[in-house]
Amino acid sequence: MTKRIFGGAFAVSLIAILSSVALVLGIAYNNEQQLFIRQLSQQAMLLAATMDNTTPEDDVKSLEKLSADIHGVFENRITYIDPEGNVLYDNKADITTMENHLNREEIAEALNSGTGTAIRQSSTMSETTVYCARVIGFGCVVRVSGTMDTVLARIGSMWWEVLLVVIAAALVSMGVAALVARAVVKPINSIDLKNPDIGESYGEIAPLLHRIRDQNKEIDLRIEELTRSRREFSLITENMSEGFIIIDSRTEVLSYNSAALKILGGDAEHSEIKSVLALNRSEAFRKAVEDSLAGKRSETDLTLSDRVYQIIATPALNGDKVSGAVIIILDITEKESREELRREFTSNVSHELKTPLTTIYGISDMLVGGIVKPEDITGFARNIRDEAGRMITLIEDILKLSQLDENSFTDRQEQVDILTLAQLAAERLTPMAESSHVTISVTGSRAEFTGISSVLEEMIYNLVDNAVKYNKPGGRVDVEVTDGADDITVTVADTGIGIPAGSADRIFERFYRVDKSHSRKIGGTGLGLSIVKHGAALHGGTVSVSSKEGIGTTFTLTLPKK
Amino acid sequence: MRNRFDEQLEQLNIQLIKMGALCEESIACAVKALFDERTSEMIDKVNENEIETDHMEHEIEALCMRLLLHQQPVARDLRSVSSALKMISDMERIGDQSQDIAEIAGFVHSTDLAGRVSISDMADKAISMVTMSVDSFVKRDVDLAHAAIAADDEVDKLFLEVRNELIGLVRSDAEEAEYFMDLLMAAKYLERIADHATNIAEWVLYSITGER
Repeated sequence: MTKRIFGGAFAVSLIAILSSVALVLGIAYNNEQQLFIRQLSQQAMLLAATMDNTTPEDDVKSLEKLSADIHGVFENRITYIDPEGNVLYDNKADITTMENHLNREEIAEALNSGTGTAIRQSSTMSETTVYCARVIGFGCVVRVSGTMDTVLARIGSMWWEVLLVVIAAALVSMGVAALVARAVVKPINSIDLKNPDIGESYGEIAPLLHRIRDQNKEIDLRIEELTRSRREFSLITENMSEGFIIIDSRTEVLSYNSAALKILGGDAEHSEIKSVLALNRSEAFRKAVEDSLAGKRSETDLTLSDRVYQIIATPALNGDKVSGAVIIILDITEKESREELRREFTSNVSHELKTPLTTIYGISDMLVGGIVKPEDITGFARNIRDEAGRMITLIEDILKLSQLDENSFTDRQEQVDILTLAQLAAERLTPMAESSHVTISVTGSRAEFTGISSVLEEMIYNLVDNAVKYNKPGGRVDVEVTDGADDITVTVADTGIGIPAGSADRIFERFYRVDKSHSRKIGGTGLGLSIVKHGAALHGGTVSVSSKEGIGTTFTLTLPKK
Repeated sequence: MRNRFDEQLEQLNIQLIKMGALCEESIACAVKALFDERTSEMIDKVNENEIETDHMEHEIEALCMRLLLHQQPVARDLRSVSSALKMISDMERIGDQSQDIAEIAGFVHSTDLAGRVSISDMADKAISMVTMSVDSFVKRDVDLAHAAIAADDEVDKLFLEVRNELIGLVRSDAEEAEYFMDLLMAAKYLERIADHATNIAEWVLYSITGER
């Protein structure tokens, strides 16, 4: 733009300077020519006056004398012509060779009106000849003529000066043009396009600036919107505990959250991860990615450092084309272990129910077959009763547990004394304790508690029962009830066989037995401690265990007063 | 936005990761075939992977050639491509040797001989070396590559140990000598695999640092 403005301004100023120079030259030349004509006509007038107007011959003579006098000083040409147009005298040419001058413009004019003037260009155009004629006495004409340079010849003769002027003019116009161009463009260049000040600039570009300002606003708005939605998106994904990865069709990672990085073991400093396969290249993961990029949703399990993850890879479809995939990584370790527990529980229950049933079936089969001696029938019948009793206890325990699980107790809450419950349990277990040489002692103060008495009784009974069962001959069971300010604590300490450290967490699980081979002899359903745990939870309390293998175990039941 | 060259380099990168993963699987399966019960399943898997690895070697080779001819890479990119060319042959060898181990597993596994020598330690070490070298490539981790190279000495030491144990066993239990020989072969293959893993790690170092 600066260039175009410069070019325009340069041309205009050059033309202006040159044309004014030409004009001035023309006027000056014209003036000079007028002056020359006047001089010539005055000279003609003087010549006419010097002649004595007698005869043409005398005139010619006086002219010859005059020109001889002024020879070398007077440069103009003097011609003397008679009324017929014949040249009688000429100081610069041979009159015999000269043609008739009657038709010459200045002569004709002089014969007609007394004086005549004519200007003629020479054949080479380098000179202009000016003629001034004047009629004297008897119709003869005296003519003075002189030459001067034509305009072109004049310029040609001073071409050096002209060139200088032209160059100077060009330089000046160049400078002016540059200044003008810069001055014109400067306000445009200095427009702050981010924040255009419309008042400060040219009115002509105001609509453009308005447009720019509006578009700037629009762009800012869009950017803000995008940033916000991006921030929202990353806020959501960052707060997910599930791993989340978006990949394109070349398996390149487009977006991910830190959970995904944590699960797959990528480190943050290594954040220029390109391919998702760099994060995990196990067969299952690769297959999931490949399937999803082939347009097939795939789910697979992946085990990474002791935890089980579910990988869900869903293709991102753009029309019919797969443009990428979304991979979600869920931690299903808990779910898996719960599933495992449920399977275990079912198989345990079936097993526990099947054993007594097999015995009952076997004995009754023998009875039906009549191969039992009549005196043995009582013994076998007792066996059947014992096994059935065991089944009933088991089913009762399972029902109780499921009631506790579902929190579907219909029994009313009532005021009970925990100490009394403990004493009752000890009393009921004393015969069994005595047979295995274990002493039970109950100490503590009365502790009133509002709860479901059957459940509380069962819990304390189970704890003391366990303490007696898993004791050594000559051992002790100490039950202590403490009525604290906020809660009631029941501790059941025994001097028994203890629990191995690795199993302490699992003893509250259903059917869990530390020593599976031993448990059959001891009896019980394997649900006792589960009931204690769930019962405590029902009353808002907790049960904890501390144990040393071979030395003893202490269960602590804490029940908060409401 | 991004030129075809970068795209092809990234494609090469992905292919190498895949091939490395295949190698890891092959050797893990071959070792499992040696010790575990599901031998035939594992042997099938190793054979399948071997075919796949060979196929990938050709594919990657073609890709490297295309890159070299069409893009004429220089400096670091050239090192990446040339080291890729070298790495794939090492990976292919790992696949082959895994297959050889799987083959031996086919007749050794029925005996409990594998458990009587410390070959499982050696296998663990070799597997971890392959994993480390592939990891060092994936993460462009110079330290990990150095660690993989350093681990080779341990594998060599373990190989000598296994060899001595086997010599002792051949002396005391000459009837089973045939199986001991097979086990020695398996150990040798593991040792070779460890060497190839070292090579891979060295190429990784070269492609990152340019030093050999």
